[in-house]
Amino acid sequence: MNHAIISCLHANLPAAEAVLNDIDRQGIDTITCLGDLVGYGPQPNEVVELIRKRGIATCQGCWDEDIIDGLNACECSYPSQLAERRGHLAHQWTDDQLTDENKSFLASLPTSLRRDRLLFVHGSPNSQHEYLLPDMDAFAALERVETAGADILFCGHTHQPYVRELRDGSIRVRLQNADHGNDQGEELTLPMRKIVNAGSVGEPRHGSTNATYVIHNDATDEVEIKEVAYDVGRTCQAIVEAGLPKVFAWRLSHGFEFAEQAEDASHVCER
Amino acid sequence: MRSHQGKCGYLRLDGYPSNGLEQVSDSGIDKTFLKDQFPELIDLSDSHHASRSQQGDLLTLIELPQFQSPQQAGLMGMDPRVKNQLEALQLHPDRHLHFGRDPELPNKDILEFKKLESFSLSLNASVWDPPSLNTLWFELVNGAYGDVYRAKALMNLPDGRSMFFNWIVSQESSQFIPLEEISAPNGRPASLSELVVQGKHLDGLRIQSTIDLCLLNDAVLEMHQMPLRDRQKEAIPST
Repeated sequence: MNHAIISCLHANLPAAEAVLNDIDRQGIDTITCLGDLVGYGPQPNEVVELIRKRGIATCQGCWDEDIIDGLNACECSYPSQLAERRGHLAHQWTDDQLTDENKSFLASLPTSLRRDRLLFVHGSPNSQHEYLLPDMDAFAALERVETAGADILFCGHTHQPYVRELRDGSIRVRLQNADHGNDQGEELTLPMRKIVNAGSVGEPRHGSTNATYVIHNDATDEVEIKEVAYDVGRTCQAIVEAGLPKVFAWRLSHGFEFAEQAEDASHVCER
Repeated sequence: MRSHQGKCGYLRLDGYPSNGLEQVSDSGIDKTFLKDQFPELIDLSDSHHASRSQQGDLLTLIELPQFQSPQQAGLMGMDPRVKNQLEALQLHPDRHLHFGRDPELPNKDILEFKKLESFSLSLNASVWDPPSLNTLWFELVNGAYGDVYRAKALMNLPDGRSMFFNWIVSQESSQFIPLEEISAPNGRPASLSELVVQGKHLDGLRIQSTIDLCLLNDAVLEMHQMPLRDRQKEAIPST
């Protein structure tokens, strides 16, 4: 059966509506959302209410967490002073806009969702703030999936969709036993695991302005990354009218692949 | 200039604004950059050195801001006002080449302008957060603050380096060249720092407000400089 995975909606209502319409047209009725319903975009309440109204199973993203817990993360969340100050502006604006009811909804979201051998998280099983980048060290990537006890890990947060298969892995351990003067060894062959990143509905950074999401078939394990065009101009106009930084609209309207990345993207915030 | 055996000189002539085309006043970026790369460079705009323009082996780089192709080929195409400026310095050109017309120069550097605005900002004593500078430059040359045709800057980094940034719309990427001279990690640098931009529909206020978000305050600058000072102390052998 096909099911859809969406992530990183970022208060972009036209994009969220377009993606949900596309999913509906394919007759898919199981949808999982990987969080970041708010942040940067101009319609935080509308997007949260759309997800609530549709009853979409959702886990909490880093923006959803920060809106509830406040900006008390260590500085790892932002790769530059500029990104941090802009992020704080967007945070303050979003905090002012969101209703108490919608904030309560964001606070109630779990950090992960599990369906059999499928695990759904925003960033990684460790943290909503950790980036699982497509070129992350294979051993570290496999460790994230394996320790979470999943065959397939669905994540978002990077805004760049990808499917990564981790196969043909093995770990060899050789233990020098000083007491007995002999070596003991063990080799483990690791089963194939998969990381699927759904990209971003509301703030794509894959070189196109199109929103992205993923369809997974749980019988065949086939994964399809879908792109959906939406009215970017409508969102950009709403960003400017809301008084959010104009550069957010500019960035969205170009779908630039450029995205600032922290020096150590796998750093886990320890707040 | 690097391969020239004799002395090198530099002269910047003022351009002439025309209808709808704004000239940028000389910010000193090029002179500072060239002087850093060629410490023996003779500045011919300095009247004390002007007479040296007659030295036989002197190679002089003359910079003149110009927006449109000359109407005539060769020396006849030179603006008579420019000729006068050169003659005052006893310089008599024997050739006049132009981008897009003469095969000696790259063809793709030709740009014709009908309207041009300029924006410049003194950034003396300012020090940048390096990843923020990277973002600001990307946004600037990709049109986040208007259509930029030309941008040039000298920017200070917290490790004491100063970087020359250079962008021309017809080129594929920006030039980033570190200056040879490095400031001591003791407070704010004294070296020249400027940003100059030319283009259309430039939003100077937004450029300025974004820059304000990128510059380091004294406390953060000190956090960068303290370990540099400590390393310098460790590197000095005790006697």
